[in-house]
Amino acid sequence: MRKSIFLLATALFATAAAAAESADEAAEKLATQVCTACHGPGGVSTSPQFPRLAAQPAPYLVAQIKAFRANTRGEPEAHDYMLGMVTLIDDATAEALGRYFARQAPAPGTPGDAKRVAQGRQVFEHGIAERGIAACATCHGAHAEGNTIFPRLAGQHAAYLVKQLKAIQSRLRQSPVMHGIIKDLTPAEMDALAAYLQSLG
Amino acid sequence: MARRSTAGAVWWILVLASAGLLAPPRAGAVPAYARQTGQACVACHVSFPELTPYGRLFKLSGYTIGTRQTLPFAVMAQAGVTQVKDNRDDEGNEVVPKTGSVQFSAASLFLAGKVNDHVGGFVQWTYDNLNVNAEGNTVGHSGIDNTDLRVVGRIENAAKTDVQWLYGMTLHNNPTVQDVWNSTPAFGFPYTAPPNGIGPAAATTIDGGLAQQVAGLGAYVFWNRTWYAELAGYRTADGVFSWLRKGQDTHTPGGVARLAGTNPYLRLAYNREWGPHSLMLGGYGLRVNRYPDNTLPGTPTDRYTDLAVDAQYQYITDPHTVTSQITYIHEKQDYRASYPATSAGSPIGAGPTPANARDTLRTFKWKGSYYYEHTYGGTLAWFATHGTTDAGLYAPGSVGGSASGSPNSTGYIVELDYAPIQYLRVMLQYTAFTRFNGGNRNYDGAGRNARDNNMLFLNLWVAF
Repeated sequence: MRKSIFLLATALFATAAAAAESADEAAEKLATQVCTACHGPGGVSTSPQFPRLAAQPAPYLVAQIKAFRANTRGEPEAHDYMLGMVTLIDDATAEALGRYFARQAPAPGTPGDAKRVAQGRQVFEHGIAERGIAACATCHGAHAEGNTIFPRLAGQHAAYLVKQLKAIQSRLRQSPVMHGIIKDLTPAEMDALAAYLQSLG
Repeated sequence: MARRSTAGAVWWILVLASAGLLAPPRAGAVPAYARQTGQACVACHVSFPELTPYGRLFKLSGYTIGTRQTLPFAVMAQAGVTQVKDNRDDEGNEVVPKTGSVQFSAASLFLAGKVNDHVGGFVQWTYDNLNVNAEGNTVGHSGIDNTDLRVVGRIENAAKTDVQWLYGMTLHNNPTVQDVWNSTPAFGFPYTAPPNGIGPAAATTIDGGLAQQVAGLGAYVFWNRTWYAELAGYRTADGVFSWLRKGQDTHTPGGVARLAGTNPYLRLAYNREWGPHSLMLGGYGLRVNRYPDNTLPGTPTDRYTDLAVDAQYQYITDPHTVTSQITYIHEKQDYRASYPATSAGSPIGAGPTPANARDTLRTFKWKGSYYYEHTYGGTLAWFATHGTTDAGLYAPGSVGGSASGSPNSTGYIVELDYAPIQYLRVMLQYTAFTRFNGGNRNYDGAGRNARDNNMLFLNLWVAF
């Protein structure tokens, strides 16, 4: 009896592993033949129109694919570019894509204006206590490397980061926790943060 | 009377455009490729048909990104009003028909999309409502339009981070319709023009001279998004390929171009993208052996050799987009058949009657565009054609002729575009000639000036 359960369990595990393997192959094919067309080789995009996906934590990526499907990411680009793409992605492929991009090497940072970078670093590491804005590093990691459902921000395009901050502020992108934290950020503070984050590798 | 109906026409078009403003911004109906990918038009197009870097990859991938549609169809239609600065020739006849009032000019049906991950393309069928027949009457006419069918393959790089080799074959019916940078003639600016509008007498063969008259089979490769190389062969679209020129008049002498054998085309391009910028530097060439008269295929052929350089620059951000394309085409015309025949006093049918054994023709085109939020746009373009004076080819004649025997024509185009929703565009286009068929004043020998051919064109373009 125990042997049959063991054999059954092994068979199920093998089937699951095989299915995961083919989902990984499918995701790799989709990533290199479709996703990279905009998100760049290995998820390192050249144009700030498209976010870098390289080294993003897998849970965050999967959550975004689901957000595009559910239309909780309401910024125009989400609809114009990604809503249709998610029809190519079922749940297993989404998980596999998360794994694919999570293991890609991130791009080196792009240096920016020293003063703005310093100002952005200050806000990122310490927040703005007098206005109740928490330090971003608390969730996004000391080096903005991300953590589970909190995205990697290091090396992301500054223009893209500013666009997302504004989309979250205006609730076009539905992110209640983020909205509560950044709702009072000024455009200048967003620019400084973005300059700092773009400079990180 | 004409002025009232023009004002009414303008009002009508603006009302329609405003109606577009009232439509829900993200309506469900979008053209075939947008339906296939689920993406908005702006993903692939700066402004139809100019392509973004992603749009170029979509086309080079054989139009196979996305999900195959059950009904892979799209339609488009245009309506507009044209004004010519002086629409009467020296005998008081109308030069361009149907000006001064709104005209439905054309409608197209597309069969477009992917068959599978390796096969895709589009076939366009167009009804031209303002077609002028051989008798000079405006009678609607339909026929095949641009067509591009592809089979593609991909080889990923070793690190599995990107497609390193994107390669394929294309079957098409217009040289350079298969190109992805809008700097070559087929998909170059202007993307639409006044129907039956007045144009210079001379144009190089590759500059629209073979559109929907040839079958082209090409093989291409795009390496690492950096180097593009293509080799193609063009034959007259007859026999099994005759569907590629369906609707053309193949019986009237001079109705279509007829080529001998397979005529080679080569295209090389260097592509580079950085930040929001993209740049292409390239060259292309075509050599054709052409029968002087398409209804007399037993004669010797003339030879046209076109060599061109081109470049494109794009800066695409939100909300600003700046793009520019430039091309210079040099054509060597070797009248090895027409010249001896003409000199001997018996030209070949309706073929050319050159005074010279060899001529050159050179065309330069430049265009720059700015778009704000993919909605408001302006374009400035410059064109210049120069060539050998040849009184046998360019003879005096009202409006379309040349008193000097020179093909030299130069001018510019100013265009304003407004696309309130993604499947509707209103355009105001002004074409001005500073030189026409070799002259500025009295260029045709009948007293017409180059600027008399200037045209103002208000156009509405819709696509579903």
